[in-house]
Amino acid sequence: MLLEARNLTNGYGGAPAIWDVSIDVGEGEIISVIGPNGAGKSTLINTIAGLLRGQTGSLRLGGTELSTVPSHQICNHGIALVPEGRRLFTGMSVEENLEIGCYRSAARRNRDQSLERVYGLFPVLRERRQQLAGTLSGGQQQMVAIARALMTQPRLLLLDEPSLGLAPSIVGDMFRIIRTIQSEGMAILLVEQNVLQAMEIADRAYVLEEGRIVASGLPRELLAQSRIKEAYLGL
Amino acid sequence: MGGSAMPHLSLLEQALLTGVLTGGLYGLLALGLSLSWGLLRLVNLGHFAMALLGAYLTWWLGTSYNVAPWWAGLLVVFVFFFYGVGLHWVFMRFRVTEMASMLITFAFAVIVESTIQTIWTADFRRYETAWGSQSWVVGSLYVPKLNTIAFVVAGALAAATWAWLRYTYAGRALRACAEDPPIATAFGINHRGLSFLLSGLCAAFAGVAGVFIALIATLAPSEIWSWIGVVFAVVIIGGLGNPLGALAGGVLIGVCEAMTMAIVNPSWAPLVSFSVLIALLLFRPRWI
Repeated sequence: MLLEARNLTNGYGGAPAIWDVSIDVGEGEIISVIGPNGAGKSTLINTIAGLLRGQTGSLRLGGTELSTVPSHQICNHGIALVPEGRRLFTGMSVEENLEIGCYRSAARRNRDQSLERVYGLFPVLRERRQQLAGTLSGGQQQMVAIARALMTQPRLLLLDEPSLGLAPSIVGDMFRIIRTIQSEGMAILLVEQNVLQAMEIADRAYVLEEGRIVASGLPRELLAQSRIKEAYLGL
Repeated sequence: MGGSAMPHLSLLEQALLTGVLTGGLYGLLALGLSLSWGLLRLVNLGHFAMALLGAYLTWWLGTSYNVAPWWAGLLVVFVFFFYGVGLHWVFMRFRVTEMASMLITFAFAVIVESTIQTIWTADFRRYETAWGSQSWVVGSLYVPKLNTIAFVVAGALAAATWAWLRYTYAGRALRACAEDPPIATAFGINHRGLSFLLSGLCAAFAGVAGVFIALIATLAPSEIWSWIGVVFAVVIIGGLGNPLGALAGGVLIGVCEAMTMAIVNPSWAPLVSFSVLIALLLFRPRWI
């Protein structure tokens, strides 16, 4: 397994938002974590990304324990985050945002190739490279957020609600892009409220409710369970 | 105003030049304040106190030990850099917020003022140098050498800092941290290390300003407070964390002040900086 999270408990101000969560992500897999608002999905992803520290349990990437790695070195181990709400550096140009992605020295050496790669994935960003990121449309900002994460040359891409706030037509594009990125061999951990799309794209999925994993397995098996169908698809 | 009351054209030109050059000094003082406010989110009122301390040290080393101002300046800038690093350590250690930083550094400025007054008394001090009052004569204009050098240095520092923030990984990382520290961290940026460097640079800039203040102005401990209003306006007009803006803001205020002195009345000059600031805030151009 690429990522092995075991018995993770973490939260804000001493109140745990995730309890005893264990998940695995294998090389090249897309794993979806679904769950309602406030279930702890972002807490889980921020814990893995090193944004929220103080967890108990173990978190290993390729066999390396990450709990003791300083926050700013997590990305050196191959984890890149596309945060909820994109969180671009809005006062900086598109290309400057991408260059923050290749800040770590190992990625910096491959700046030019990485830029070519992400401009190939998102041609519109090449046209807008000098534009301030804050002036782009929502869909384009999401592209910058994904491209910025890819610039770090990660082994595992964390996507926190990538379809949030996007027009339905663009959401489809976004999932196609995620599929393309996976086909190039990257492992992806996706947290989504858009359950149908997230299940459709995933190799395996976890259901997170009130901070605990309540179900896991193949997407079609999960969707076959009447309780999950009822809660998430309203059927 | 009637035509007869209009000052002579060459007087206006001289006022314009004086304003631009004074603006350079304002810009030099504003540079460090703007960078620490915009990029570290710390409002360092102690910046003015350190600039004045740098000026006194330059004057004292020069008059008591015959140390040439450039050597004294180098020493001041070097020592101030490490003071800036240490100051930031204190800010980090006690997790000082933006608002608290203003209060703490205000107290620090008072302490520095008292210390200067204790050591060198409240008497006015003037650093007399051989070339202190020399000017180039260009047409009908007198171009004071020292002020011009100060302006050039201010321009060079502002341009270099601008380029550093724009074109280097460290500079861009600092701008990213100013916007969203946790996300910047997730991309491998060690905010701590970079902010120590920046804080050191800001203090070093205070030292540079101090050297020129020693050579150009008359020193008194209370000078600290006379700069705060003008330079605050300059920093805000220039845009927080924008080095070229700081210089441009300085020149704008400097020129407005000098023109007011020449055309209206010298006693109106102190009104200018805040009038310009208020006018600009009302119209809110995009860069503020």
